[in-house]
Amino acid sequence: MIVAEGRARPWVSGARKWQDRGFTIFMWACATVAMVPLVLITLYVATRGYHALSINFFTKEPAGPLDPTAGGILQSFIGSALIVGMATMFSVPLGVFAAVYLSEYGRGWFASAMRLIAEVLLSTPSIVAGAFIWSVVVVAMGSFSAVAGALSLTVLMWPVIARATEEVLRLVPQDLREGALALGLPRWKVILRVVVPTAGAGTITSIMLAVARGLGETAPILLTALGNDFINTNPLQPTDAVPLRIYDYARTSVEPLHVFAWGGALILLAAVLVLSIAARVLSTRQQKRIA
Amino acid sequence: MRKRDWRLGALVIFVALAALAAACSSKSGSNNGGGSNAPAFQGTSMNGAGATFPDPIYEQWFQDFQTVESNAKINYQAIGSGGGVTQFSARTVDFGASDAPLQSDETSALPGGAVEIPTVLGGVVVTYKVSGLETGLKLDGRTVADMFLGKVNKWNDQEIASQNPGVKLPDEQIAVVHRSDESGTTFVFTSWLSSQSPEWQQKVGADKAVQWPVGTGGDGNDGVAAGITQTEGAVGYLSYDFAVSSHLGIAQIKRNDGTYVTPSVDSISAAGGILKFPISPDTNILNSSAAGAYPISSTTYLLIYTDQKDKDKGQTLVDFVYWALTKGQDTASKLNYAPLPGTIRAQALTQLSQVGYQGKTIEPSPGVKA
Amino acid sequence: MSADRDPSWHAGVPPPRRHSRLADRLFSGWSAVIGFGLILLLLALLLELTAGGWRTFSRFGFGFLIGRNWNPVRGRESFGALPFVFGTLVTSALAVLLAVPVAVGLALLLNEVRGAIRNPLASFVDLLAAIPSVVYGLWGLFVLKPMFDRHLEPFLTSTIGKVPIVGALFQGNPNGPDLFTAGVILAIMIVPIVTAVSREVIAVVPRDLREAALAVGATRYETIRMAVLPYARSGIVGATMLGLGRALGETIAVSMVVGNRPQVGTSLFQAGATIPSWIASSFREATSVGLHRSALLALAVVLVGVALLLAFLSRLFVSRTERLVAGQGAGGAVETEMLKVT
Repeated sequence: MIVAEGRARPWVSGARKWQDRGFTIFMWACATVAMVPLVLITLYVATRGYHALSINFFTKEPAGPLDPTAGGILQSFIGSALIVGMATMFSVPLGVFAAVYLSEYGRGWFASAMRLIAEVLLSTPSIVAGAFIWSVVVVAMGSFSAVAGALSLTVLMWPVIARATEEVLRLVPQDLREGALALGLPRWKVILRVVVPTAGAGTITSIMLAVARGLGETAPILLTALGNDFINTNPLQPTDAVPLRIYDYARTSVEPLHVFAWGGALILLAAVLVLSIAARVLSTRQQKRIA
Repeated sequence: MRKRDWRLGALVIFVALAALAAACSSKSGSNNGGGSNAPAFQGTSMNGAGATFPDPIYEQWFQDFQTVESNAKINYQAIGSGGGVTQFSARTVDFGASDAPLQSDETSALPGGAVEIPTVLGGVVVTYKVSGLETGLKLDGRTVADMFLGKVNKWNDQEIASQNPGVKLPDEQIAVVHRSDESGTTFVFTSWLSSQSPEWQQKVGADKAVQWPVGTGGDGNDGVAAGITQTEGAVGYLSYDFAVSSHLGIAQIKRNDGTYVTPSVDSISAAGGILKFPISPDTNILNSSAAGAYPISSTTYLLIYTDQKDKDKGQTLVDFVYWALTKGQDTASKLNYAPLPGTIRAQALTQLSQVGYQGKTIEPSPGVKA
Repeated sequence: MSADRDPSWHAGVPPPRRHSRLADRLFSGWSAVIGFGLILLLLALLLELTAGGWRTFSRFGFGFLIGRNWNPVRGRESFGALPFVFGTLVTSALAVLLAVPVAVGLALLLNEVRGAIRNPLASFVDLLAAIPSVVYGLWGLFVLKPMFDRHLEPFLTSTIGKVPIVGALFQGNPNGPDLFTAGVILAIMIVPIVTAVSREVIAVVPRDLREAALAVGATRYETIRMAVLPYARSGIVGATMLGLGRALGETIAVSMVVGNRPQVGTSLFQAGATIPSWIASSFREATSVGLHRSALLALAVVLVGVALLLAFLSRLFVSRTERLVAGQGAGGAVETEMLKVT
């Protein structure tokens, strides 16, 4: 697979040739080793999760342990949508405005510090975001809630959107900005009408990646939204989420529920992979368009 | 313009989401208001959290109770007994659940008076896997403690043999398997060992997790059951509901009066006969003197504030507990929990009458009494 | 890193009308406030957790970090972070040891191959990063752990386990959750980010250098060893640190396979606990009457401190590679790659 650089190769001794071949094999071995888990996980989740998929699974709340398969995990799907939906509503404006500042206005040490902090925040352990929101929101409100869950996800999603969107805004050609300014448009209109729309698909990409991350997070939700066996749509009440349900069902002693955990994992994995792949396709197109 | 299109689309989705959220929340809000004026009380939604041990039966009960009061959506999250007490004390949940009675400092930290109402009973079972050895090996407390201390390390040890005349015991090493995680099962088991063996009490003590002198750990009942199954000569302990389905050998345990009892729904249920009300910090049903009682039995409690802040929630809670202590008890044995003995149910119901709203006792609705 | 790409707004632009200038001020002020919010968020996070853990720090002082006991029973309270620091370090170190060679090999390959293979291969690796933690945990618990218990761990015990000194790591009961399984799961989870960042730092190595090496007759292996790796080294170290940071903070997947038993020992086949796994498993259970909750928040402070330090150091190392090859247009490519796998 390795293509020569288009020129005749000088003679190399046998030992060096074998060394080179060995290295090529090593690189391919690395690729294989890295691929195996992805394939295995996808296969296991698909084959085991498939058995859980039924009408009940998508349309019912959990039934009791005497007949668990009569129930489903509808409340988890609704809860995940509610929590991640709210988290997206919080973090998109925050992230996009921070990105606008960093790319359009930010200069000097202040902007550099901000950029560094945004990057450092990307490495915040998710459980820490949960403990933080538990102590400032759950305790203050006196109740676990969907809002608290959404806020803990916002702590994780805000920096992701801010940094990713900033990179996209920077790709917008300078000529466009100058052209619009030359027409007498004020700067804020140039940003809102020209820069952000031009980077549109890229911005959506970064939001999709952040949403994919939010959908899969368990640890912060565990400490903030608590979980719920019933459908809850009140943002101030404890709420369920798919990853939380998988976590609980994986550890329960009621065996049929293990299958439900795999089923939940299948749906979650499918959603997250679709989002990530779509985001990648969008960003590739965007890069082509701008270039 | 294509650019404008996606922005418009995003706006529409945004607004739709917001509208949906608003619509849904107002709907669930109206659920709370109704009910009391309706012809028959239909309950309301509420939250509880706590003990893991009764989680399956509670989940089943809350499901079944919806057939009695259709709006009673009682959300129970099994976060552990300690968590149940904490969240209850912080009033972040409407009721708590704990395997251990409230301790005096916990009671004094509560924002108001509370009752502790026992709901079901469970047992801890000594299980083993020794080929050629039938189920029903007889063991007393000191022997079990010595096995877990590592002092009795062969199956044909004199201590075991003297209690099992006529049983052919193999000359095999005893492999101890215990829980590696924190658990109420470990607490009950080590409490019982401490009551039977001064040496155990002094060297190890009783807690949800202890420093085991010997043996290997397993995570959860599952882990211990797997550990015993895979190891010839293994001995371990499991909660009763697990032991029955594990097909392992189950030991008969010697009572303080000298008789040996096999753990069963009936013998565990009998142990509850010695419960005294009101529940005090040192209440337990270990080594119960009641006739036929299994010695390693335990109970679990619901924690309920006596002064309810919300009329409908209070009513739903009282109705549920009344129902659980009467009709609900039949479900217990189907999930391998032991029901409370009849006399204890009656006393627990008397405790329930302490629960009130604005100074007036909440009477159970006619619907649950029928 | 940004000055050269900053938009130059003022060149030859007519002065805007007055009300627009006010709107401009509002708009830029508003976005600055929100940007500043990120800084506030980090400060609030650090302050709140430190305040929560303060009672523990002031009671146990430095002893908190080296204490081996963790006893939340009131009256007998004693909190030491050592078993969790130990578990976190062991699992993360194992993850980095297993993941970095694979990731660097893969990153080199991605830079060497051309054409139809490259993009799908790179996307596949990035998809690994998209799998939620709880799915890794589920798979680890029901598939990987039983497989290791039955086959890999007994095999390792009977082979490497016999070697003196090193062997101690591979002895003990293979059954049940253990540090080893957690380390392997973590390794799988950090391969994508280490690969992505390494790949970018390798990509910015000047083309002239490779060509010069090839021109004097070096084989591809020799080119990589002598021309590529020296340049990319500090960037790869940065990538490794970033991976280490991720491994340290990973919660749910580890919590599901590690056994959550605080202990310090020599065998990889024993159960352990990491800081995040322990917080996740005992936080809801912890009471605030005594010190238990405060001690867990103190653990969180230790964790967030280490994770942020690593993220910061990693930035330094990666930007050093960028500076080494400045002018080659590496720009924000590294950050973009990091974001994709965040």
